Amino acid sequence: MMNILTLSHVKKAFGTSEILHDVSISVPEHSVFGFIGQNGAGKTTCMKMVLGLLQPDGGDILVKEEPVVYGQNQTNRYIGYLPDVPEFYGFMTPTEYLAMCGEITGMRREEIRKKSAQLLDLVGLTTANKRIKGFSRGMKQRLGIAQALLNGPELLICDEPTSALDPVGRKEILEVLHAVRERTTVLFSTHILSDVERICDRIAFLHDGKIVLNGTLEEMRTKRRGGNVALEFASSEEAERFLRLFGSGKRESAQRVLLENGVAEDRTSLWRCLMNGSFDLERMERTEPTLEDLFMEVTGR
Amino acid sequence: MRQWAAFVKKEGLELLRSGRLFLLLLLFCLVGVMNPAMAKLTPWLMGLVSEQLAESGMMVGEIVVDAMTAWTQFYKNMPIMLLVMVVMFGGTVVVELQKGTLIPIVAKGMKRGRILGAKALSAAAVWTGGSILSFAITYAYSAYFWDNGIAAHLFFGAFCFWLFGIWLLSVFLPASSFANSTAAVILTVGICFAVSYVLGLIPAVKSYSPAYLLESLPLLTGEMTTGDYTAALCVTAGLTVFHMIAGVWLFNRKQL
Repeated sequence: MMNILTLSHVKKAFGTSEILHDVSISVPEHSVFGFIGQNGAGKTTCMKMVLGLLQPDGGDILVKEEPVVYGQNQTNRYIGYLPDVPEFYGFMTPTEYLAMCGEITGMRREEIRKKSAQLLDLVGLTTANKRIKGFSRGMKQRLGIAQALLNGPELLICDEPTSALDPVGRKEILEVLHAVRERTTVLFSTHILSDVERICDRIAFLHDGKIVLNGTLEEMRTKRRGGNVALEFASSEEAERFLRLFGSGKRESAQRVLLENGVAEDRTSLWRCLMNGSFDLERMERTEPTLEDLFMEVTGR
Repeated sequence: MRQWAAFVKKEGLELLRSGRLFLLLLLFCLVGVMNPAMAKLTPWLMGLVSEQLAESGMMVGEIVVDAMTAWTQFYKNMPIMLLVMVVMFGGTVVVELQKGTLIPIVAKGMKRGRILGAKALSAAAVWTGGSILSFAITYAYSAYFWDNGIAAHLFFGAFCFWLFGIWLLSVFLPASSFANSTAAVILTVGICFAVSYVLGLIPAVKSYSPAYLLESLPLLTGEMTTGDYTAALCVTAGLTVFHMIAGVWLFNRKQL
């Protein structure tokens, strides 16, 4: 599969503080790529460099195999961009704004009219043809998606599209992103991990100016699937008796004991212990590492 | 060309819907009417204060007003309009950079130079239209009340002032790239004005300074001819072009 976007060894400093040391990621076509990092990790900086709005201090950025040039960026014709806090001209209506965007990208008048109507319908702004000035944050975000998709971009870059929205607004935005994946590769940055789990198929973690984890969501889970086993007993006394008899394990709560990686691998001795002690066991489960666990792990919390 | 036209349209719509265009044109009209009105009212005003002046020992003689008085007023009032223009348009780029409204536009592949070009055009168009309006109104009233014939080189004088305005407004093009606030842009414009004004006081270089174009009275009275302004006109036009080029060069390198 071709990579629509490649960053290799990208560096960026603002003054003396180095934000990005060595960032390398590849975004394959037709994927939904989650770009995860804490606030201030440098996600926006990365995205702005892809758009040619900021100048990298080192490294290469390729969009569809074409190098990104700072300033006058020709590769932007493949890209639709939704900034984190999209700001539009308040004196215009959404239709007027989209018409202006269409003219800037060189679309034909008829095409602009058709596409605008389609997109406003997709993002649910058909009835809101008033001036943008009175728009809520969520409405602006939706208009942002419409303008980003106007020229049928092959790569849609969204900078924290859901961060400031209420649950309903978030769900709507995620649905729109999910709906466009057929035609468009989506790269979106976020620190909301449940959003990532909901729609992404590939992710990269940015931490301390470097990519610390990178791959498909499945890969990431399997790689980290330690096979921790959690046991839930009927009472705290039972849990305590188990710990005494088995000899290892971590008490998670009164009735819950967690057997970490190495311990749980020795299944035979675990079964034997459980049988011999005839414990009143209520539940036994293999725990999946959540993205949150991964996030905590890579950020060293 | 279409990119540029789209942005020019946006600028026009903004001027119209924000009410700025209406306000500016109204002010230009007002100045146009005020010039001859002030001239017409001067004898009456002086008559009102003449008694008080007489008490303090000053005698007011007969005051003669003519078209020249109105045109003197024109050159006194137009700098105020230029200041209004600088204040209104000084933030046109900086405010958009601060708000982030240019980011989706540039991310769409809009050439940055075209953004500046559209901004420059809208400011120049308002200044040109407004100047013509003020000039025409002053001209019409002066012709009605008196005789414009006594003032020499009326059109050339107005052209000089117009060009000075264009030059001063062009300062915001490069200034918007390195200044981070409207106030800083206006300050830069102010500094440029001050420098040209000071140069205008030095006899050796004064005829090359843009501020020389403001000296219209000797032109109206016929003490100077149009040829005396050639150097200042060339320098001003050259600097304007330089500001445009420097503006685009800097803006292309600005991190957004």
